[in-house]
Amino acid sequence: MSLKRIRWGVLGLGTLGVATIVLLHVLIFFGVPTESFQGVVQRIFYIHVPAWWITFSAFGVVALCSAVYLWLGDDRLDAAAVAAAEGGMVFCTIGLLTGPLWARVAWGAWWTWEPRLTLALLLWFIYLGYFLVRKSTENPEQGKRLAAVVGIIGVLDIPVIHISVSWLRSLHPEAVVLRPEGPNLDASMLWTLMVGLLAYSLIFSSLFLARYAVEKLERVLALRDVTTAPAHGVDVS
Amino acid sequence: MAYLGLVWTVARKDLLIEFRTYERLAAMGAFAVLVGVLFNYSIDTAQVRPQSIAAGLIWMTILFGGMLGLGRTFQLEQEDGALSGILQSPIPLDALYLGKVLANFVLLALIAGVVFVVFGAFFNLRFAGSVTALVGVVGLGVLGFVALTTLLSAVATRTSMGESLLPVLVFPLVLPVVIFGTTATGRLFAGRPVAEVSGSIRMLAAFSLIFLVAGAGMFRFVIEE
Repeated sequence: MSLKRIRWGVLGLGTLGVATIVLLHVLIFFGVPTESFQGVVQRIFYIHVPAWWITFSAFGVVALCSAVYLWLGDDRLDAAAVAAAEGGMVFCTIGLLTGPLWARVAWGAWWTWEPRLTLALLLWFIYLGYFLVRKSTENPEQGKRLAAVVGIIGVLDIPVIHISVSWLRSLHPEAVVLRPEGPNLDASMLWTLMVGLLAYSLIFSSLFLARYAVEKLERVLALRDVTTAPAHGVDVS
Repeated sequence: MAYLGLVWTVARKDLLIEFRTYERLAAMGAFAVLVGVLFNYSIDTAQVRPQSIAAGLIWMTILFGGMLGLGRTFQLEQEDGALSGILQSPIPLDALYLGKVLANFVLLALIAGVVFVVFGAFFNLRFAGSVTALVGVVGLGVLGFVALTTLLSAVATRTSMGESLLPVLVFPLVLPVVIFGTTATGRLFAGRPVAEVSGSIRMLAAFSLIFLVAGAGMFRFVIEE
């Protein structure tokens, strides 16, 4: 994909994303009914849940791109992995910040050592390690390989961590949408949630493309530093 | 068989160096005993029975002490430029990894033994469970931790942050060892039957297996120039 097309993609997806975010907030504040048990605070659900869906999808992309990068050595896959990891980190932070705001009202505590909370916090730190490894390697090619290994190890460990922390009793509300019997929430709530998911997906895709383009440009610049030849001939596509 | 011979060659080299210098064993052993002393004064033993928190203290000491020694797994090779020599030898890189894991396992298992004896004496602990099951829990827990940490130690050594990066990489991932290790050890200390810890033992075995296979598979991406 050429940089010009990426630029249009970033702008288009970003504008659509911001518009959908506005629509989402209109729906959250004026559209959906108030949940009968939890009250007003339940409305944070429409931000919190999509943020986690995006987080997990992004980290799935990181692991997949990292694994194929180690296999094929294609530089674009590494650029995609780091772009997805940064986006995932942003949405993971949103999830980690919105969770306690809800929990303070619903559970009466900012934080509990509940399986999903623990896993979410550890996920954030696993990817902090991913970035630290990348940033602190002198040879960039080696940094990419090391980070890919850390990303894969992290994703391999997530199911094991999930099983181990689930040994403790779970306080977290059970899944209401992704469950075998089908969703069990009001249609307007489900729609708002879907708008939230769409908004966050658009914003994520826009950020992902922007970050991917920056990563590619940085590589072109690095290449220009090592070669004395003028960079005009370098293919940035 | 020849493959196991290669693994043993690497492990033997590391153990030989260690038993000539005692650098890592001395650091980890002293750490374990001194942490026991500090724990003793950081806990109000009139309020908290050491017996009921012993499993947690013991496991945290083994893991923190282990970080100290395992962080230096590749230090010697890195400093003396010996790594390129090893990389040029005909040993497959997965055998190199497994050899390093074996040597680290022997060292940390020794330290774990010291921790149990010293903490048992310091806190006047009584052990009522099956010793065989305890050996299984500690052995598998240490193996899983060593399999993960040896790989990530190679990663950390390759960065400019070095050993200071290792805890950030290892601690989020090692939680299953902490949970199953402490739960099982606590139950065995309380004299519960072996059947109550068999689930933990299976999970520790699964953790060890996953990271031994992943480590052996991915080690070459970490260590190659």
